Formats: sequence, C-alpha cells, structure tokens
Amino acid sequence: MMGRTMFIDPGRCIGCQACVSACRECDSHRGKSMIHLDYTDEGSSVASLPTVCMHCEDPVAPCAEVCPADAILVTADGVVQQADTTRCIGCANCVNACPFGVPKIDLQAKLQLKCNLCYDRTAYGLAPMCATVCPTGALYYGTVEELQAERPGVQVADTFVFGESEVRTGVAMVVPAERVRWPVPGGLPVVEINGKDVRR
Amino acid sequence: MTEPPEPAAAEQSDSGARTGTSGGKDGRRHGPGPGSGTGPSGTGVSAFARAARRLPRSVSGRATLAGAVVSGLLVLAIVFGSRLLHDFDSALLPYAVATVFLAFGVAYRYTVWVSAPGALRLFKNGWRSLFSKENFRKAPTALPKMTATYLGFQKFLGARSHARWAAHQLIFWGCILAALITFPLTWGWFTFTSGSGSGPGYEMRIWGLKIIGFDSLNFLGWLMFHGLDIAAVLVIPGASYFLWRRMKDRGAITGQRFAYDMVPLLALIVISVTGLLLTFSSIFLHGGGYEFLAILHMVSVVFTLIYIPFGKFFHIVQRPAAVGMQLFKYTGRQDDQVFPCRRCGEAIDTGPYVENLRGTMRDLELGFDEWTEYCPRCKRVLRGNAYLTQVKKGFK
Repeated sequence: MMGRTMFIDPGRCIGCQACVSACRECDSHRGKSMIHLDYTDEGSSVASLPTVCMHCEDPVAPCAEVCPADAILVTADGVVQQADTTRCIGCANCVNACPFGVPKIDLQAKLQLKCNLCYDRTAYGLAPMCATVCPTGALYYGTVEELQAERPGVQVADTFVFGESEVRTGVAMVVPAERVRWPVPGGLPVVEINGKDVRR
Repeated sequence: MTEPPEPAAAEQSDSGARTGTSGGKDGRRHGPGPGSGTGPSGTGVSAFARAARRLPRSVSGRATLAGAVVSGLLVLAIVFGSRLLHDFDSALLPYAVATVFLAFGVAYRYTVWVSAPGALRLFKNGWRSLFSKENFRKAPTALPKMTATYLGFQKFLGARSHARWAAHQLIFWGCILAALITFPLTWGWFTFTSGSGSGPGYEMRIWGLKIIGFDSLNFLGWLMFHGLDIAAVLVIPGASYFLWRRMKDRGAITGQRFAYDMVPLLALIVISVTGLLLTFSSIFLHGGGYEFLAILHMVSVVFTLIYIPFGKFFHIVQRPAAVGMQLFKYTGRQDDQVFPCRRCGEAIDTGPYVENLRGTMRDLELGFDEWTEYCPRCKRVLRGNAYLTQVKKGFK
C-alpha cells in the first residue's frame, strides 16, 4: 500500500454521485469521469460502490502487463498511470483484464481512460477530486494513521481474492476489525465445481 | 514516509500475494506517495523498461541477431543501391551511419517488444488475419481502408481533438516527405545529375536509372530542390502546437517527462529550423554560416535518428500493429463471434479476442483469466455484492 493513498468505505457511500461529478470537472480530463459508482442491487437497495483504480501492486498492474503496446506506465510512487496517448492502440486488453473493472475505452479515439489517482493533484499533496468532495468520507485520502486518528478502531485491507488468486493493491478498503485477517472477496463467481460448469 | 523512494511496486519480485492488513504496520509502504511532492514529471518505470531489465537471454540474443541482420542488410542495400558506392555522397556519411544504427535499434527493440506475451499473441493473430484467404474474400477492402484511415489520415486522433489531429497530420506528412527524400539520398540511391555541370537541366536517377528530367528553374525544379523546406514548413507549426500544448494543457502536463515528451518535439523543431536556415543562408547570406549550420543540422538529425528506437518516436514503428489488432477484431465480428458477458449478456468483444486475452493472462500467470468473461460493470457489481454479503453485512 502506498504511503498516502485512497481508502474506500462502501458502508459510508450514499450514492450521491458527487465523486463522479467532481472527477468530470478535473482539468486534466475535462468532461469525462474516471470514477465508477455502481448500485449493486439496483431497484431493491440503495447500496452503492465507488470504484477508483486500485493501483495493483502484486501482481503489479495487470492492465500494464497485458498491454500489447506497452502504453501503461507505473510511476516510481506506485501509481498506475493512464495509457500513454501516443502508444495506446485501443485494444481494450486492459479494460477486460482489470480484475476491478476500472479502465474505460474510447473506441473512436482508440484510447484507454482510467483513474490515475488525480496525479496532477496528489503529486502536489492535494487529495483527489473525488475524495475532496465526498460528503460522507466513503472516499478518504491520506495515510492509514491519519484515517485511524479520525476514525478510531477502523481497519483496512489491501488484498483481494479472485478465485484462487490474490491481488494486493495500492488503494485499500475499510473492513470490519474481525475481517482484517482475510482478503476482501473480489466477487468472481464460482464457475466450476468438480469439473462441472455451474454458471448456467 | 521516511523511506527513500523505492523503484515502484513494479520491481517487487515476491510473486506470492499476501493478505494485507493495515498499511504501514508491516513496513511495506512504498513511500513517498504521490503526495510527497515528487512532481508530475517523476521518473517512471514502464512495463517495457521492467521487461527489458529482466529480459531473458534468449530474447536478448534474438533481438541482437535481428538488429545485426537488419543493419547488415541495410549496409548491403546501401553498397549495391549506390552502385558499389559510386553514387554515394561522402558528405552524407554521418547520416548514413546513423540510419544503420537506427535499423539496428529498431529491429532490436521491435523483437523485444513482440516477444512480450501481450504483443506476441496480437502480433500472430494480426498476421494470421491478414494472410487468411477466407478473410480476404469476405472483406477485401478492409486492410487498405484501415491502413488509410488509421495510419494515413489518423481518424482516431480527430476523435481525441481536432487541433491535435491537424497538428499531427502536419508533422506526419512533413516527416514522411522528409524521410522519402533524405533516406534514399543519404544511401546514395538518388542522384541528381546535370549534363551541363551547373544546370539548369537536371536528371533524377534512382539506382542509376533515369526517372525524370527537369529544369531546375521551373516550378517542378523548385519543388524538387525545396522538398525538405516544405517538409520543415509542415513540421514546425505542428511540433510547435504540441510543444505549446505540453506547457498549457493540464492533461498533457500531468505526468509528462522531459526526455520522453519534450525532447522529440524540440528535436523536430531544431532539425526543421536548422534545415530552413541552410536555405536562408544560401539564398540571403551567400552561404554565410553554412558550414556551422550544416554541422548543427547534421548533429540534430543524427541524434534524433539514434533516439527513435528508445523514446516516443518508437510509436511510429508500433502503430502499424494496431491495424493488425483491428483486423483481428474485425474478422471476428464478420463471423458474428461476439462474446457476451456471463452475467448481463452485454457484448464484451469478439470470442477470439477474449480467448486471446485469456491466453495472454495465462502466459503472464495472472490467475484470474476467467474473470475476462464478465464485463467491467458486472465485475464491479459482483465485487460490491460480495462485499455486502461477506464483509460488511449491515451494508444494505
């Protein structure tokens, strides 16, 4: 996990879309939001989940690993940058390989778009746009010590499990204290039991 | 954040993922983070650079061999193309030597690039789609159409920004024109000869064969002798626009690096301006300062040619691969091989593409390749539901 990073607490998210609007206002990608806000059980629950790039550390940036054009840079501080506009060929490998469903693709512009943790702001010590405007603190930017000073007893997890694979990330999620020893489920459904496809 | 900057998480070699508890407690922090003021132009580690550092010896050897073969072939082409150096202009020797280095560098890096799993699979599938007779019968115009719109007129750049498209077109056609003129000239393939010594009647010859005769004083002659000036006039406004954008546009400034983003533009401008100054010197200064300008021009061109395989200019070599990728996807769509999301049924991409990506992920030992059968939104929703039911049950 990076020193200063984003902490996501879906339990605090009220689905107000302020983060989406703020991201869209950012001067470095005017008019396009890089954050996702999904209603997990639309119609029957107000539960929502904001998703920013998790800046995978181990394995490092699967999006960059699968990129055939070597367009995605991981800066020395662990931030997985948006695809280099010169190199990106718009193949969407990153979009479909990302276990968190983060990158987007502009098929006309043949260009990937993704959250870079507001590098233009965080590089100068400012919080990302989304964390700045979140009214409930579902998106928090700082160190874990700062988070725990503000929210005593809070615990965070930075490891997610997808099937049998684990992914450790630079961005963490807030979890109940009793869950801190276990990786956060990534949501990958069970697809096979005893060699039998159970998806359908 | 007392630790010095570590060279990215990318460099960690421990492949076993660990269960994270809270950041910092176990001393695994990668400080300083973005907030530590490294600046937007902080050094980065591209996947290529990382791959290059742990390049297997076999890839390195293959790349060296490819570089040696291509540069050797170019030397032979120069020797025989200039009729055993009869037409070779020794004043242009540094340029010719630089192109041999360029050939080595491009072939080396290209080989390394297409040896990486993601590129290799798309590379093979792209060529397979191109050479498939069945595909050609189904869509004979697909390749020329994609080549023209994608590589020539770069329609995708227009979707990014009209101004960027226009500026890039200026640079692109300027560089194409300059390359078509200078490369054969420096290799001794082109010659301009005059029966009367100083003209005005000239003959243009390629490999010693007469192609065209012209009067240097008429319009065609002017065009022939000012082709590089025209190229410079095209490149300067295009490169200047991009340079201006790199200083003004927040999106472009974010994460930009001097050597990667600025140097190529400055190089293009220096080459073009010094080239124009050569013409200026010969017309208005009676050759004053010509020798100095010629050396300055030559040095800037030579360094730029040698830089091509290592920096931003490598996209010139990479970009045609995008046509292969498009062709691969296009042929899949022609056969209605669309792959729907396992959960919502939305089309993800073509079936062969999804299988190709899964293969790439398996090559890279990313053990969640079955996840590619779900669309990005469903991945997020499924993760949200898993969190809701298994992590924080009171979430609803």
